[in-house]
Amino acid sequence: IPGMGQKYYLQFTTEDYRSRENAGSCLATVLYPKKKSPPAVNIKCINNKDQKQIQEEDNRLYRKLKHQTKPIIGSNIPDIFGNMEPAFEPVWALAVAGSSYMMWEKSTENVGYFMSQVKSVKQWMRKDDSLEFDYTILLHEMPTQEMILCHMRLIWLPGRPLKVKYTCESDSHQLEDGSGMESGSAAGIIHEKEENF
Amino acid sequence: DQVLHIVPETFQQVQHLQHLCSTLMLDLWKPQLLEDIRAGEDLHIRVPAPLVQEVKDSLDQHMISYKVLINDVQELVDESVLKERSQRQIPEGYNYTEYHPMEEIYEWMTQIEKNSELVTQHYLGNTVENRTIYYLQISQPSNKPKKIIWMDCGIHAREWIAPAFCQWFIKEILQNYESDATIRRFLQNLDLYVLPVINVDGYIYSWEAERLWRKNRAPYMNGTCYGTDLNRNFNSSWGSVGVSFNCTSEVFCGSGPESEPETRAVAQLIEEKKSDILCYLTVHSYGQYILTPYGSTTTPPSNNEELMQVAQKAAAALMEKYGTSYKVGSTSLILYNNSGSSRDWAHMIGIPFSYTFELRDNGTYGFVLPPDQIQPTCEETM
Repeated sequence: IPGMGQKYYLQFTTEDYRSRENAGSCLATVLYPKKKSPPAVNIKCINNKDQKQIQEEDNRLYRKLKHQTKPIIGSNIPDIFGNMEPAFEPVWALAVAGSSYMMWEKSTENVGYFMSQVKSVKQWMRKDDSLEFDYTILLHEMPTQEMILCHMRLIWLPGRPLKVKYTCESDSHQLEDGSGMESGSAAGIIHEKEENF
Repeated sequence: DQVLHIVPETFQQVQHLQHLCSTLMLDLWKPQLLEDIRAGEDLHIRVPAPLVQEVKDSLDQHMISYKVLINDVQELVDESVLKERSQRQIPEGYNYTEYHPMEEIYEWMTQIEKNSELVTQHYLGNTVENRTIYYLQISQPSNKPKKIIWMDCGIHAREWIAPAFCQWFIKEILQNYESDATIRRFLQNLDLYVLPVINVDGYIYSWEAERLWRKNRAPYMNGTCYGTDLNRNFNSSWGSVGVSFNCTSEVFCGSGPESEPETRAVAQLIEEKKSDILCYLTVHSYGQYILTPYGSTTTPPSNNEELMQVAQKAAAALMEKYGTSYKVGSTSLILYNNSGSSRDWAHMIGIPFSYTFELRDNGTYGFVLPPDQIQPTCEETM
């Protein structure tokens, strides 16, 4: 789109992150602006799973996490062998959801990300209803192949969008004059469908 | 020593147990801390042999029921040490569904050669840190000259599933050689050269220091910076695109084409035998791709149609196993631009079939692929 940027039209299916079962399909448009800022995304999805069932599962997870009296603390999830303790899976899943926000903000038409590993997680016990976690996360950046270390603070209450605040280590590796240094911190609110953990 | 399993029923029982554990200084296996002992939850304590009777008496006195989880801790320890040792000696006990450190891979190569008439181990070269790089040749004895299929794994240290696949591949060929006519016919006409780990230094480093290390361990800038991306270091449009000249980058292409000993070791052998090499395969992760030349340009190679046809057939066969889908195409078109890759170089010097395999997964676990995916990944790729 002259003067604005590149716009892409996408149609794709989704699958459950763990079970790889088909989870639905989506239609989306992605606009990469000329100047550096996150791509503008419009998306509509049809979930295979029943909304109520998703909500129930989220609530079940929420209650289980709220029930703990000691804060959850962990590191290297998964470990170097790829093993993940079942107890940490929900916390990892929350990290995946929160990371998607960081990855979206940092992406450009030429630079993309995957979440590689949770280096550390620490829960902050809150007096109110929300669950709060502090993460250190390694993002795998393509095509530079760099591993970017990010600190992410995530607040979750079922029924509400995730709240994410983050800073990533600035990376000075540039293959082309594309991605610059991202060391911003933003209180982000994701407009996403509820995640099915 | 015994390990007892107790599920305290009341708060009083919990208190007594905490008291008992702390006065006798018992070893808590589960939970780890005294204060985490709770009614209704599992408690595992290791009781030293001289105290076993005293502890049991105390539990009986307080009407706390228990089960003996482990009758003799020492016995169990001895057993597991024996098992470890024997597993490490015989490749028959070698576990192909777990990741192995370099020490064990070296031992495995020696054992495999010893146990099979088809396999010979060969010296390829040395790494920066002076470790030996070996490849295995699988060859049916015969007096007719044979064409060669070359496969290397582990050019990038963090891609652990790749060396795991190379080992699996050899195991499969050897195990099924007798019973599988296809394999026998294959080997009648072709020799297989398999290099389980090219980037030995990097692989060891990813085990011991930094799991997500990618490059080799060559020191630059007076030892303040380490590592060349070996897959940017080959003499194929070296340094032109998709690289960095800065050592701190993950795609640092080195000080010149083939500046790294690992690259030279591979290049020398392939150059020497190039008229006999039919196919060059290099195995990576992740992404689920079968990539054809080139990365440095979108101009297709001369035999592109045939390259694509064969790759598409492979992807289709792969998908049949577990439904895993692989994308097929040239690196520059479906992935990103890069120069100095081994696959491009192999094709440029005349090897007709040259492919990069990017194994599972799609990004969910990426480089840190759980070991329970080793088997399905290897089976489908086979």
